[in-house]
Amino acid sequence: MLRMLVLRDLQKTYTKLRLGYLWTLLEPLGMSIVLWLVFSVLLSRNIGQQPYALFITIGILPWWWFTKGIAQSTRSFKRNANALRISLLPTQIWVLRVVLVSMIEFIFSLPIIVLAMILTRTVPGPLILLFPVAIFVQFLLMYGLGLLVASGVAVIPDLARIVRIVMRALFYLSPVLYSITKIPEYIQPFASVNPMVAILGLYRVGFWSAEIETAWHYALSFGVIIMIIVIGFLVFKRLESRILKGS
Amino acid sequence: MARIHLTPGLDSMIEFAAVSSSVTRQHRRAGGGRKHAIRRMAGEFHNETEWILRDITTTVGAGESVALIGLPDEGREEFLRLAAGTLMADEGLVQRREYVIPMVGVVPALDRSYTVRQNIYIVGGLLGMTPDEVESKVGSIAEQADIEGRLDKYLGTARPVVRQKLAWSICMSVDTRAYAIDQLLVVGDQEYREHCWAILERKRAEGVTFLVSSDTDEHLQRFCDRAIVLSGGVIVAETSVEEGLEMRKAMTPDSKRKREKALADEDDEDDYEDL
Repeated sequence: MLRMLVLRDLQKTYTKLRLGYLWTLLEPLGMSIVLWLVFSVLLSRNIGQQPYALFITIGILPWWWFTKGIAQSTRSFKRNANALRISLLPTQIWVLRVVLVSMIEFIFSLPIIVLAMILTRTVPGPLILLFPVAIFVQFLLMYGLGLLVASGVAVIPDLARIVRIVMRALFYLSPVLYSITKIPEYIQPFASVNPMVAILGLYRVGFWSAEIETAWHYALSFGVIIMIIVIGFLVFKRLESRILKGS
Repeated sequence: MARIHLTPGLDSMIEFAAVSSSVTRQHRRAGGGRKHAIRRMAGEFHNETEWILRDITTTVGAGESVALIGLPDEGREEFLRLAAGTLMADEGLVQRREYVIPMVGVVPALDRSYTVRQNIYIVGGLLGMTPDEVESKVGSIAEQADIEGRLDKYLGTARPVVRQKLAWSICMSVDTRAYAIDQLLVVGDQEYREHCWAILERKRAEGVTFLVSSDTDEHLQRFCDRAIVLSGGVIVAETSVEEGLEMRKAMTPDSKRKREKALADEDDEDDYEDL
């Protein structure tokens, strides 16, 4: 059933637009090019790893997935209100659905990274095997966080706007444009509280071994992820009856 | 997989034990004359939580056809949704022996931007059918809804009656022992209704349980064995259908009561109503 809902969603996005699948590539690609131009060419700052073009695509794509999924989960219960009223299925599937759809779109957009690899003539090391691990961890994080914000928004609609602002702030607070190794050393331990730090690191270690962090940092990040999942589920269970009521 | 909790050992089909349910309604600030004009214009809302059902204790036996008689917006819909489990009780406990198919708002759940076939898959899936099960029934559902020819066309602007027939056919194809039906007992024109009745009667003869709410008295009279009468959020009687319908005639709709109250309260000259 879930598979069907996800397929329908993908079908809808890909058949409605003229360029269909190409948009999955073009949108983040355009974003990556602009940011690469600004930081690498115009400002010529060395804030990430070299080659920066590849570095930034590996930051932007997962981030795209993250913001898209979370933004959509804030709307998921409201958008599916009609289906929710007759659904005998678990209420979580509406959040799981948007997270999965955005994940598949992310996977579809991976050719951009391959393109960047070819253009910059970079070959990944063996640690690229951590790439799928990163996808899995990010999926878990998004499921937990998605449940949390979706249930929150169902009760307090204003939360959707707050989430939007927080996501924008998080974009700059996460090492999307820059490398975590470039921030002052005394801040680095605190940075790991943001789970996206570890996840983006995992995506990148295959290319730059400098991106690897100490076990302690990973433990902290994953601890936060597990906490978010647990809190997400608890809040969701607590609010489920109000979600079903639609208020 | 499913969220709905079943109690297989239950003697009856559905059991309500001291169930209460509240709804939160948003009211636009109205009245108050010039004093609150700005607040009104700013669209200030205030939430009001009211108990729509209070302390409901009753049972619906297996194979029974029970009419739920009450006024609109006074808890009928919530009662049916509680029975099916698509709404959770704030207090008390609802137990059911088998899945109860909620025929409450199935038509709005059909999505215009999907094809008829996709809609059958999705709504069928929501009601607990497995994809394989739907697969094998798609043909018969479409045939029953008279839209075989449009199976792969988008539902789009299909007429309401087509949507109703489709929703009805999907629900009737679910392999279930109980239904909670709001209004859509029979749909379509005279001829189609007879077809609906035939199917319903067959299911009833097979021992399927029905909990029905409808504004058409004849439907209830024709189909139901007994009635639960709701008024003001409580069960006022469990009686025969005839008597229940008589009791409903004597009730004043809540909206009318409020209107009368508002008229009585209105002594402020420059009080104007919100548009």
